[in-house]
Amino acid sequence: MSVDVTGVDRDTLVRPIQTFSKRYLAALAVGLGLIGVWLVFYYQQLRHGLIVTNLSDWGSGGGVPWGLYIGAFIWWVGIAHGGIILSAAVRLLGMDTYQPVARLAELLTIAALTCAGLFILIHVGRPDRLVTSVVPAWPTRVQWSPLMWDVTVITAYFVLTATYLALTIRYDIHRLRDRLPSPLDPLYDALMVGYSEKEDEVVERMVWWIAFAIIIMAPLLLHGGVIPWLFALLPSMAGWAGGVQGPSFLSIALTSAVSGIIIIAAAFRYAYGWDELIPDAVFRGLSQWLGFFSLIFLWLQLQQVITGIFAAPTTLQHATEVKIATPLYWVAIGLVALAMLYAFATSLRPDLFDIRTMVALSVGVLAGTLAEKVLFVVEGLQHAHFALYDGVPGAYVPSPTELSALLGTIGIVVLFFLVVSKVIPVVELHAIEDDHEEVNP
Amino acid sequence: MTLAATAFASTVSAFASTVSAAASTALAASPVPLASSPEYTLPFVGPGTYLIFGIVLAPVYAMVAAWFVGDPSDRAKGLLGVGYLAGLTTVLWGGLFVATLVIGAVFF
Repeated sequence: MSVDVTGVDRDTLVRPIQTFSKRYLAALAVGLGLIGVWLVFYYQQLRHGLIVTNLSDWGSGGGVPWGLYIGAFIWWVGIAHGGIILSAAVRLLGMDTYQPVARLAELLTIAALTCAGLFILIHVGRPDRLVTSVVPAWPTRVQWSPLMWDVTVITAYFVLTATYLALTIRYDIHRLRDRLPSPLDPLYDALMVGYSEKEDEVVERMVWWIAFAIIIMAPLLLHGGVIPWLFALLPSMAGWAGGVQGPSFLSIALTSAVSGIIIIAAAFRYAYGWDELIPDAVFRGLSQWLGFFSLIFLWLQLQQVITGIFAAPTTLQHATEVKIATPLYWVAIGLVALAMLYAFATSLRPDLFDIRTMVALSVGVLAGTLAEKVLFVVEGLQHAHFALYDGVPGAYVPSPTELSALLGTIGIVVLFFLVVSKVIPVVELHAIEDDHEEVNP
Repeated sequence: MTLAATAFASTVSAFASTVSAAASTALAASPVPLASSPEYTLPFVGPGTYLIFGIVLAPVYAMVAAWFVGDPSDRAKGLLGVGYLAGLTTVLWGGLFVATLVIGAVFF
């Protein structure tokens, strides 16, 4: 294995399961608090309708029926796609350096996909519409509606990721069973149904094939395909249309996902003293990947700006001029550029590298990519080819209800990791033991 | 109006009619996937179906096939994997369905 984890034993691996601290309780309170704030606002939305967000009908705030909800949806689904790509790459391409964070990346995918789905659920207003409208219409609308393609592939992606986790966890649970909490035995029994050590080789190969499917689907077809097609296929929105949205969305997904993994890995390392289990080399490597993906992100933004202002069609030129005149856009670009410059600087001068700085820059990247995606959605609607929204007064500003949903989903991710880390090892046993045949004494 | 002008107007009119007819024919034959297009009223018949189930999900078909015919493979474990795929899909949408029933019972 590429990182030195000598001296890391199984007890270190299950430390999150076996310890309980005030810091854990504090984090739990923060997570639940964020969710609670969202629920208070969401109750108002359920009671009064989407009008409380100004997103109903024609978009009461400057003609924006899609706003932070859809921007945050793209952002979360991007984080989800990028997370599992990293995990799949570890298994498929032998990038063993990142094995200690592979399962954290898988878990981030599941949590982030849940949040993405939640944003769709709350954006449709009445949540039961997802079943009463989408399901009956699906067999016919999937023929031509990108929204139905989206629902289809996100379902498939969630199921694939969960299957990936469910199969890989069996190896670890079997060998760490005596260190896992006995009250959860029924759950472990269910997860281990039909298990025998003879299956390890076969299941490892099955998981390899899932990684194969994911690594093809995620970049090429999902966040480089179906998700951007929600926008890129609409010629009436000048700022949305065009094939460049595929690679552009993908670059944002990878950039934000690596940032998310850096933050979560650093949090676990700090909370459980996992300096040996998740060594500096992992963060240095992730930092370099973040720098590379940030460069791709900035390059694709440049492509869009240049093609949008140099002899572009009138409406595209207008949309691009509005974009580059928006200060928040440059804040977003600046935050990503800062992370890229730091990553490259620490490649030149390794002594400059500091995990806390990298975490802070990763938070900045997440804020920047979210801002870019929300601006993409909002300005794309406001500057369409037609003048449909010109008569709608006001300007779009995210409402407290929308902002609370963003906080709520962050709370859900925090809560998810806190709960899951008490149930299963969040680092694969393979990360510390190469011998796949070893059986727990 | 002079004779030449009348002839010109007549020619333009005929040309416009021809263009209009051609445009109508092209539109009728065009594969624009509109909801009202009669060729797309059958379930699962249409470009989106071919795109999603023919291309986007193709790696999943390869994956499931490899679970059963790859080396090494095991029929029972392959079925376990398929069970996860089918079961999780059912749980996901079944859960939403139950939530819908609850919403219907509580609010409406």
